[in-house]
Amino acid sequence: MTVNVDPPLVLVADDDPDILDLVRYRLERSGYAVATATDGAEAVRLAGELDPALAVLDVMMPALNGFEATRALRDDPQTARIPVILLTTKAQEEDVQEGFASGADDYLRKPFSPRELSARVQAILGRR
Amino acid sequence: MLEALGIAALTLAVLSTIFLVALVLRRTSVAREERRRLQAERRLRSLALDIVGGEEIDVSGLATEELAILAEVIGRLSRNLSGDARRRISAYFAGTSAFATELRSLGDRRAWRRATAAYRLGDMACDDAVPRLIRSLNDRDADVRSATARSLGRLQAHEATEPLLLSLVVGVVPRAIAFRAILDIGATALPGLHRLARSSDAAVRAGAIELIGWLGDASDAELLVGAMNDSAAEVRARAAGALGRLAEDEGATALTDALDDRIYFVRLHAARALGQVGEREAVPRLLQQAREDRFEAARAAAEAISRIDPQALLAAAELPDAGPHLHEAADLLKA
Repeated sequence: MTVNVDPPLVLVADDDPDILDLVRYRLERSGYAVATATDGAEAVRLAGELDPALAVLDVMMPALNGFEATRALRDDPQTARIPVILLTTKAQEEDVQEGFASGADDYLRKPFSPRELSARVQAILGRR
Repeated sequence: MLEALGIAALTLAVLSTIFLVALVLRRTSVAREERRRLQAERRLRSLALDIVGGEEIDVSGLATEELAILAEVIGRLSRNLSGDARRRISAYFAGTSAFATELRSLGDRRAWRRATAAYRLGDMACDDAVPRLIRSLNDRDADVRSATARSLGRLQAHEATEPLLLSLVVGVVPRAIAFRAILDIGATALPGLHRLARSSDAAVRAGAIELIGWLGDASDAELLVGAMNDSAAEVRARAAGALGRLAEDEGATALTDALDDRIYFVRLHAARALGQVGEREAVPRLLQQAREDRFEAARAAAEAISRIDPQALLAAAELPDAGPHLHEAADLLKA
């Protein structure tokens, strides 16, 4: 796990180190600090500890998947207000619906455009 | 005699020792090589991220081996990327010898090398590889054909739609891989699929119709309704499935008519599709199918009624002639 302390902090969780690096690279260049986790349980724990401005969660992760991690964040009053963007290779309509039902704010399909991800993070955080 | 045996045993022991030492040396050398490679990869990773991120990077100072490792890292990153990042990867590889090397390797006599090249070319995101990759769909080796199909999908090569579908139909590429490749090509595959939906080969028509159901939209409903009258039952069944996925009202009449098809699996797919479309007017006919048809078709009809009109299902399940499928669907509804 790596933590940068410059605000605003974005928590990124994915079990694929390539994706973690790509997301971290783009978000850091867009002016965000980035904390990373490699599974859903670690993401939920870090969200409680670090109070990030936003979380980017992969759907298919060990320990807790993205839907379960989102629900866990929503169920905890301390983390309930953290916006969540889900990243997934699954593009079926029902997965999108489950993502939003679990409380996610946005949804990005892999393979993804780092620029688009950055734009969506900016849109949610209202930061220009 | 004893002396000869002793010499033989000694020779065997010496040879075994030499073999063991060679094995240990080889293993150590491979491990050292792997460590060196991982170190180089870690060192070059930030460079790869910079290139993908659009930074102007001069790689002229890198050794050939480092360039090869850099190409592999960028190729791996490429698998997760789309949009401008992937275009930058394409631009990077177009200017390197790595692309030309992999293209050349498609003609290598070793199958594993051809398969690796086919796989890497998909990650390099260079459209110039498409014509050569399409030829590799006819490679004599199955792994090469599969890697090629996957890469044509990654490259979103719409001109590969027809050869990919033919590979799927003939079975030279596993169905899941060819199907996924065409889905990866996306909506730009549709014009090719429309042409293939009029093929004289029923298997090609069936494959094209199924894919139109996944990639198409409301404007394809008319074509799919037409396919419900195809002479091949497989095509009619796929058309029913496609109409269900598109969930267009336009197909409801054709789907209801298909409940009278003489082939049971067409009736099965029509019933499922009516459930997806939510066609209430088909409920009486679906109730009849749920009571009287063959197992799978009857079950599909009961499930469809459960989706369209749960109250009608519960009421029908109370009747003496309900049969096992309506009972089962009603039980699932109550659960």
